[in-house]
Amino acid sequence: MQLSDYLPLEHIIMLKASTKDTALAELVQLLVKADPKLDFDGLIDAIHQRENMLSTGIGQGMAIPHVRLKGVKRAAMAVGVVREGLSDYESLDKAQVHVVIMIIAPEGHHDTYIRLLAEVAEVLKEDELREAVIHAQTPEEVYNVLCAGSS
Amino acid sequence: MIATINAEVDPTRLPALVVIGMAIFFGTIFARLFQLIRIPQVVGYIFIGLLVGQSGLNLMDLESVNDLQPFSFFALGIIGFLIGGELHRDVFRKHGRQLLAVLFGEGLGAFILVFVLVGAVAFVITNNIAVSIAYAVVLGAIASATAPAATVNVLWESKAAGPLTTTVFAIVALDDALALVLYSIAASIAAILLGTETSGFATTLARVAWELLGGIALGAAIGVILNFVLRKAGEHENALALTIGAVALVAGSARLLGIDMILAAMTLGCVIANLAPRRSKRAFEVVERFTAPMFALFFVTVGAQLNVGGMPGWMWAMAVPYLAGRTIGKLVGSRVGARLSAAPKSVTRYLGFCLLSQAGVAVGLSITAGHRFGGEFGTAIISIIALTTFVVQIVGPPCVKHAIHLAGEAGLNITEDDLMQEHTVNDMVDRGAPEFLRGTSLNQILRTISQTQATAYPVTDTTGGLAGVITFEGLKESFGSESLTHWLVAYDLMEPAPDVVHENMPLCDAVSRMRDHHIEFLPVLAKDSSDLIGMLELRTVTRRLSEEVMRRKQLADAGS
Repeated sequence: MQLSDYLPLEHIIMLKASTKDTALAELVQLLVKADPKLDFDGLIDAIHQRENMLSTGIGQGMAIPHVRLKGVKRAAMAVGVVREGLSDYESLDKAQVHVVIMIIAPEGHHDTYIRLLAEVAEVLKEDELREAVIHAQTPEEVYNVLCAGSS
Repeated sequence: MIATINAEVDPTRLPALVVIGMAIFFGTIFARLFQLIRIPQVVGYIFIGLLVGQSGLNLMDLESVNDLQPFSFFALGIIGFLIGGELHRDVFRKHGRQLLAVLFGEGLGAFILVFVLVGAVAFVITNNIAVSIAYAVVLGAIASATAPAATVNVLWESKAAGPLTTTVFAIVALDDALALVLYSIAASIAAILLGTETSGFATTLARVAWELLGGIALGAAIGVILNFVLRKAGEHENALALTIGAVALVAGSARLLGIDMILAAMTLGCVIANLAPRRSKRAFEVVERFTAPMFALFFVTVGAQLNVGGMPGWMWAMAVPYLAGRTIGKLVGSRVGARLSAAPKSVTRYLGFCLLSQAGVAVGLSITAGHRFGGEFGTAIISIIALTTFVVQIVGPPCVKHAIHLAGEAGLNITEDDLMQEHTVNDMVDRGAPEFLRGTSLNQILRTISQTQATAYPVTDTTGGLAGVITFEGLKESFGSESLTHWLVAYDLMEPAPDVVHENMPLCDAVSRMRDHHIEFLPVLAKDSSDLIGMLELRTVTRRLSEEVMRRKQLADAGS
């Protein structure tokens, strides 16, 4: 699976946000800008609903908010890097979150959705790649690390 | 053209097609109503026949019934064919001696007792020894017959299997022949006693031999041909058409040649069943599906033919010893026969109660007697048999049903489809199936799944409503990365439920929904709400049904 199929360069930004909520809103905004048919309110609600069940801050500075939703036509990703870190993300290891990788998918695309989540998790398992993303200075650097790391 | 068609319609009589339609349509409705109050459907058919026939509203007069004769013969042919199909070689090989003992026991038991009782009452009435013996011997012979159709219909309706059922099938098939032999001898004796003898005893015996042996020969010959043709023809439609055609051919030819029609049809069924047991199963299955309207038509016309009004008092008086003698004779005779041949307990105890019905054969023989002897004697025989047929047709089938239940043989010859009709989803739902809240972690889910057998698990929201399902198939994708187990939850892994059913839905509907849509499981909701109560898995349902079918089959086999 190629992450680049779901993650175009323009979906990667250096986030200005300093809180979890604003970070999530910025990424949803990015996805809605790329696909105007997406409903901002519906998407952000669904993301929050999922966060309320269990935080997607998976530890080691990483967060993978994700949701499947009616109205989403194809799976897509957006990535935001926060140099200063988000301290209110409630990560599983309680550490600050530096990289937020958002994944959205149509309701019926169960397989693609889980495969994307697994693929991202696998890439970020490598210490070297993870550190490279956290310390990236530009979206291009993030893109190169993530998309080169995926099989 | 229209004028010509109209001109052919006799306004005083219902056209045959209307009569057929009425008989099948209303007969079936009544039979269903009777079934609801647990009375065999045969009684319902006969009841509607009585209602519209000579004894009732006379909508269906004797001429209308006569119009239907070919259909009645055809129906009787089909019934005979199906009974023949139950007579497998093994039955005779295993139980031949026992069957013969029981046959002679019940047949001769009824004959002897009716002979004695009717003879005595007739003597009181007529004060004439010769006439009394004539009544006694003819009615005694007719008493030995058992109505195969009415009896067998109850066996099928009750899905019976076991030694009693097997014995009943064989006995009702065989005692037709016994009654015919007894009647022929009796009629000759009566003719001599009444002084109406026109042909000698030897001629009579030759005619009986022709009727019986001719019936067997005709059935066997067409059976061999049908077996050959069925082997060549492949499809279902062909099997139905060919078999139905062969039955009609046998029934019609038997009438034409003056030979015993039921015996011929039974032989046809018996030959087919024994020559190619597996292939013929299909032929019997397709014909069986065809039987419901045939049964309705046949029994409604039987009921319509009965005329129990306008009988003089002394004929009623003779009907009583006939009924008593026949009933006691069959009960005691079959018990003695069964005991002498060391038959299973269920046969000894209950067989007699299964042999009380009398219909086509007895009525047919009485009509033959009516034609042969004419006058008061002929009318009396027809009337007494009509009246007693009326009584035993109402009482007989429920007796069969009761006996089969007491013997524990009801519901043993059952398929998975039959069982499904008896159950609702509620009976098969797995209430203990683990379910997950939306926020349950993948780690926890995997731990639970590893300890259970299910293939699908419901996911519920905080109010207990169904949010989706997690399937084994869907989980596989998550095995791609170990780290997912820490932070994925049931909500991420669930898929929308393919469908849902309520607990009170008939099981057959739920199963056909699963089969039609290739679904392996269905979440089950409470009767009047959307609360989840468990899961219905096709795999589990199929396993439990086939276990039950197997269990009942073993029960039926264990009895023999």
